[in-house]
Amino acid sequence: VSDAPELRFETPERVALHLELAGLGARAFAYLLDVLLVFLLWVLALVVYSISGDLLRQVLALSWAGQLLAVGAVLLSGWGWDVAWEVAAGGRTPGKRALGIRVVRADGGPVGLVESLARNVLRAIEVPLGYAPGVLAVALGPRRQRLGDLVAGTLVVRERRVDLSRYAAPDRAAPDPRFAALRGRADALLAADEFERLVDFLARRPDLVPEARARVASRLAVALARRLGAPPPEEPEPFLEALAADYAGSGR
Amino acid sequence: VTGGRTRNVGAFVRARRAGWERLEALAARAESGRLPLGEVRELDRLYRRAAGDLAFARGAFPGSDAEAHLAQVTARAYGALYRPHGGSAALVWRVLRVEAPAAVRGHLRALALAAALLAGAATAGALAVALDPSAAELLVPEQVRDAIAARQMWTGHLLQVAPGVSGSAIAHNNLTVAGLAFALGLTAGLGTAVLLVTNGLLLGAVLALAAQGGMAGPLLAFVAAHGPTELSALVLAAQGGFVLAGAVIDPGEWPRGAAVAAAGRAAAPLLAIVVPALALIALVESSVSPAPGLPGWAKGAVGLALAGALWAFLLAPGRALRPPS
Repeated sequence: VSDAPELRFETPERVALHLELAGLGARAFAYLLDVLLVFLLWVLALVVYSISGDLLRQVLALSWAGQLLAVGAVLLSGWGWDVAWEVAAGGRTPGKRALGIRVVRADGGPVGLVESLARNVLRAIEVPLGYAPGVLAVALGPRRQRLGDLVAGTLVVRERRVDLSRYAAPDRAAPDPRFAALRGRADALLAADEFERLVDFLARRPDLVPEARARVASRLAVALARRLGAPPPEEPEPFLEALAADYAGSGR
Repeated sequence: VTGGRTRNVGAFVRARRAGWERLEALAARAESGRLPLGEVRELDRLYRRAAGDLAFARGAFPGSDAEAHLAQVTARAYGALYRPHGGSAALVWRVLRVEAPAAVRGHLRALALAAALLAGAATAGALAVALDPSAAELLVPEQVRDAIAARQMWTGHLLQVAPGVSGSAIAHNNLTVAGLAFALGLTAGLGTAVLLVTNGLLLGAVLALAAQGGMAGPLLAFVAAHGPTELSALVLAAQGGFVLAGAVIDPGEWPRGAAVAAAGRAAAPLLAIVVPALALIALVESSVSPAPGLPGWAKGAVGLALAGALWAFLLAPGRALRPPS
């Protein structure tokens, strides 16, 4: 269970929902990505302008066409960029999408034009201050809101992509013959949270220091084998894999 | 097995996963457009089932990936299901057509305060220069004074963040000024008031100085086409700032944060009018205002017509004050 601050709200059906709030790092990085993207678009525009022939130049020389482009560009390179994306893409600018975060209303609903305008126009006083109040508020505040979020009543939440493949049924064709005696017993042996921790370990073991990996594996294997009334397995990790596979594959 | 649900998290996920995946797919499509009625019913049914699964997983498998996944899926479906009717464009249009006029009319005291500060400061600036021409040295930037003294047309921007910083590109950005007028409402309205007063003083002083230098005609002709709408936009943004300020100063029985958020929600539709108005008027400022062939009265007529259309749109009676439910 994570200790990260959460947005808690209740739906009209009285379902309590929790969304993890995005941290300062993800938000700052998403912001920088968006700034970089806008910058690259300007570079692209400059390249197109410089390699294009006289036609584009003549079009731009018309005062209304040049002005129309200039006004649109100013709108889009400022907070217009954020507003347009947040309204059209469910609270996600390209930078936020890349970092897996999005803007939501305090009641969990998607942001509309009004909320997005309010939170982004407030950048007018946050940018001259170097975002200092915003950085402090996001780092220390209980709801991680910068000034714009406070005024708009919005929060930035993390979208965790959870991989459910750990719950997939194992390949029944080739069970490890050494652990045939286990078959069908793991369901009664393991509690659901023990299964979760076991799979966490199996997923993370390539990243562990070899000694720590061996120590944890043998400790887990010894404790679980004792519950089965079996002697400690010679190779802990295949035993743990078989146990996890048997658990995931059983039950109804 | 408990109430048709297993205590084995693997079996639980396998049994329900297809429904969650279908729910996610429907929610994604609902976010980006419209769903046929049959699929909306399916979305609703799958959402309720996922909410039930979430409640079960919270009790049976707390802290598991299955619970975390269900929380994400349910929250996303909730957002898709309870999103207001219509696509993005329809929602934007409703903000412009209904919420923005309602926000203007719902906070007339803030509007009056903003307009009075700007007009009062402009009058004071004009009077100061009229009574004592040396006041211009204090109120009007040097380059503008030089231009008027040399009888050149001054075509600088009308709005400023503060006097004396007219050289910077940011200061000339009308959008920045309007954004500041709104955002500075958080300073209990002091920042908004200072912004209005400095802009008003400058405006009045420049007009008076130009009149003394015999340049009033050309100057008025230049600003006539875009000035009224630009100043209207500033007043509207400042109105929003004062609505925020009201919540900062007197949150009533609410926590201050909640009061500010509610005021922000109430005032932000004003920005939805201010931003496009300033974008359109920037086009007028660059095409109509400097046009040498147009007589001053024609530019004035354009300017008054544009500003009049804006205010008529916002204040004309007979429009629903509340969005249709």
